[in-house]
Amino acid sequence: MHRFLAVVPALAAGLFAAGVSAATLTARVVDKTGKPLAGAVVMLEPVGAGLPVKPMTGIEISQIRKKFDPDVTVVTVGTAVTFPNRDTVRHHVYSFSSAKTFELKLYAGTPSTPVVFDKPGIAVIGCNIHDRMTAWVVVVDTPLYARSAADGSARLEGVGAGNYRLRAWHPALPADAPPPSIAASVAAADLEQSIRLDDVGAAE
Amino acid sequence: MTAVRDWLQRSMGARLVALFLGLLLAVQVTTFAALRASLSDHAHNELPARLEVGDRVLQSLLDQRAQKLIEGARLLAADYGFRAALGSNDAETIVSALENHGTRIGATESALLSTDFQLRARTSKHRADLESLVSRLAPQAAKNGNSSTVAVLSGVPHQAVLVPVKAPVTVGWVLMAFPLDARLASDMHSLSTLNVTLLARSKGSSPWTVRLTNLPPERAAEIAGSAWALPQAAGMASIDVDGEELGVRPKWLSRGDGAADGAAVVALISLSVDDAIRLPSDLQIALLAITLLGFIAFGCGSVFAARRVTLPIQSLAAAAERLGAGDFVTPIDGATRSDEIGGLAKSFERMRIDVAEKQDQVRQLAYWDSLTGLPNRVQFRQAVHDAIAAAEPDAHIAVIMLDLDRFKNVNDVLGYHFGDLLLARVAERLTEQSVRTGDMIARLGGDEFAVLLRSGDASLGLAVAQRIERSFDAPLVLQEHTVDMRASIGVACWPEHAADASVLVNRAELAMYAAKRRSNGALLYEPAIDVGSAGTLTLLTELRQAVERRELRLYLQPKLALDSGALVGAEALVRWQHPERGLVPPVQFIPFAEQTGFIRVITLWIFEEAVRHWTLLHGLGLDLQLSVNLSTRDLLDPELPQKFEALCDAHGAPTSTFCLEITESAIMEEPQRALAILERLSAAGFRLSIDDFGTGYSSLAYLKRLPVDELKIDQSFIRNMKTDASDAMIVRSTIDLAHNLGLTVVAEGVETAQVWDLLRDLHCDEAQGYYMGRPMPADEVSGWSERWSASRRRAAEPTASMRLH
Repeated sequence: MHRFLAVVPALAAGLFAAGVSAATLTARVVDKTGKPLAGAVVMLEPVGAGLPVKPMTGIEISQIRKKFDPDVTVVTVGTAVTFPNRDTVRHHVYSFSSAKTFELKLYAGTPSTPVVFDKPGIAVIGCNIHDRMTAWVVVVDTPLYARSAADGSARLEGVGAGNYRLRAWHPALPADAPPPSIAASVAAADLEQSIRLDDVGAAE
Repeated sequence: MTAVRDWLQRSMGARLVALFLGLLLAVQVTTFAALRASLSDHAHNELPARLEVGDRVLQSLLDQRAQKLIEGARLLAADYGFRAALGSNDAETIVSALENHGTRIGATESALLSTDFQLRARTSKHRADLESLVSRLAPQAAKNGNSSTVAVLSGVPHQAVLVPVKAPVTVGWVLMAFPLDARLASDMHSLSTLNVTLLARSKGSSPWTVRLTNLPPERAAEIAGSAWALPQAAGMASIDVDGEELGVRPKWLSRGDGAADGAAVVALISLSVDDAIRLPSDLQIALLAITLLGFIAFGCGSVFAARRVTLPIQSLAAAAERLGAGDFVTPIDGATRSDEIGGLAKSFERMRIDVAEKQDQVRQLAYWDSLTGLPNRVQFRQAVHDAIAAAEPDAHIAVIMLDLDRFKNVNDVLGYHFGDLLLARVAERLTEQSVRTGDMIARLGGDEFAVLLRSGDASLGLAVAQRIERSFDAPLVLQEHTVDMRASIGVACWPEHAADASVLVNRAELAMYAAKRRSNGALLYEPAIDVGSAGTLTLLTELRQAVERRELRLYLQPKLALDSGALVGAEALVRWQHPERGLVPPVQFIPFAEQTGFIRVITLWIFEEAVRHWTLLHGLGLDLQLSVNLSTRDLLDPELPQKFEALCDAHGAPTSTFCLEITESAIMEEPQRALAILERLSAAGFRLSIDDFGTGYSSLAYLKRLPVDELKIDQSFIRNMKTDASDAMIVRSTIDLAHNLGLTVVAEGVETAQVWDLLRDLHCDEAQGYYMGRPMPADEVSGWSERWSASRRRAAEPTASMRLH
């Protein structure tokens, strides 16, 4: 169950009025306590027709020292990712996520066939024989995405005016939950948007 | 019961034993009761603690089990195939995977939950159960990563666990439920010895049902029935189940709350209070054994102790009885003990010794004469008695009694103190005379002494008596006084004179008195002395009767003038013609009569007869002077003179024709009185004659004062005067003396002609004797007189001496 965001309403700046110049949306991701959340992935998706994306190339998630590297990878839909095993031990890479269910049975080296992520969503990847190895692949459907910095801000540039959905995702979110989104209208002016992830945060 | 009480009253020992045993019993019972109470108390304090421990044990068991189940579930949930199945999003696949894997570890129900604990798939049909269960498990799972609880599913208590499915992060939760089975109860019991009963109810309104128990089913059912009484808080409740007290502690394993369907599981941890407070059987046996042994030991010990008290007491009681019976010789037991009994025994012993001493003193006083140190009368009598008792059949025992003559005079003249000293000297002298050992010399009291000859016949007794008599010849010198004492001595023997001690002593005394009367020195007892014997009493009676029945006969012995040979008088003598005994000689009754005083009757009879016969003779022409013997008694009878006078008057006989013969000794008995009577007799006209002159006491001073007319020389001098010169001399002197005093003299006992002639030559006046004539019945006198006259006439013709038969 999602709690919907307490949204600080954005200024619906007359982006249109300003002209066709692209705005920059700076998203600020905070956790439920309001603390800036670094490493979050923000995605801006236009409401209605989607923006064209192209698959990325050369993405690889390697296994080194019994860890996935990088732990979070953002790829666009259709990107093929390879999983080179740079460890001395074999790994059995798998994912049961609905975004991509695959397994690379116990192998060493690089599997010949890369894994294509053809659905937007979050795929959580693990190793069957190393319970601690976790990696996320965030498959985005929009070219507008960014990772939040330490201050929790993520700049999205070249955003045309229009209505969008701003999503934020963080690894700490529960695995089977869709990333929370808020509506965001972009006009000509740059804007900031805070997005709060209520399922994230130390509130122990 | 009363018999027992009586026995207890009589026996102090029994009371002691009963007391000790009673105390022991009381102590044991008290101990037992105290133990029980303490155990009960303890148990009641300890039992809740035990139950609390049981609670923790149960909790621990459940926790361990839960942990095991969690681990199992977690492993299962990590299974790749399982994760793959769960990730397949195919409901059927998921359910089958859940079933499969659940069965692997014994879960009866399994379910898959989303990361937010929403139920996604389940193997069971009871959604409501699971939802409430999940709602209980979720919070803890979210916190700890897993959780477990106890819940009722399908009415059965289950332990349910919730574990995450990690792929590799938590992608969901798996719930598995395992039924609680009997192993829980048995583990519980083996760990804690407590019983556990699980009660469950599916709704708040439904009754509790027993799901699991290691109590007997009926008990458990009963508890279930009363479960409503259980306190909500923890603690111990006491429930009476089937007569047994159970302590029960409820442990709520799952409460129906929240969704409030009221399903609940409660574990009742129970124990038997009765068992807990019962004295362990070996302790009971031990107490019983101790009690029994104690009884035996106390019984023996107290019997022993009691006897240590009662036996000495009994012994002392016996000793007291002995003392009471007079045994003061046997020492008392127990006087050596140093305790209270010893003190008592010592007192008894002191008393015994004191009494024995007193007894000795008393005996001393009782049996010994304090003045002389000789045995006293009591002892003497006892000695005589013992001697007779111990005597052999042929033995003789002699008793000598002696009495000091005129002792009273000594006391009067020289004083009582001197008299005492004198008695002591006499005692000494007697003791010097003392005979053999075994013989006893005793002072009987006053001036009486006695000697017991333990083996002595009459002759020995008499000899000893005479020896004693002779010992008095020597005067006693005492305090510058010389005292001549004489004693009268009587001798009596056993068995001749008496058969028992008192009679023997008595008869010795009689003999002594007789000796005293006769001034005779030593005298052997003869029956004639004894006035008290039955024989003599008879004699007295017979004598009396003799007078009445005229058995007495007057005999006359002629008295002749020596110069002329004429019959001038006769001595009146009495004979007794006893119907059975014949003629009883005077010696057999005269002395007796003198003793008894009956002589007076006899004398009077003789005198009267004499007077009568004088009258007769006078009628025949014979004028004889009749002589009548007077005894001492007669002499002291103040009425004698007038009686005699009266008799003379009655018969018309002149008093001067009667001569009254009196012995010297008779006069000397009581000279003054005798003199007075004689004076009166003389004054009355009677002639008075001294009989047996020369043989008794005589005082010439008195003699010259007595109004006597005649002396009769005793026959002892006359009889032998022919042969014995001294006798002849005495006779001649007596004749001269008499003539010089103006008295006539008569010779008694003339038996031969020579004596007759001699006497005639000596100018004796008269003679009497067998030569001339024996005593004859008074009637014969006249006849005799004629014959005598005739023979005298014949003799006068030739002057030859004649014999007359």
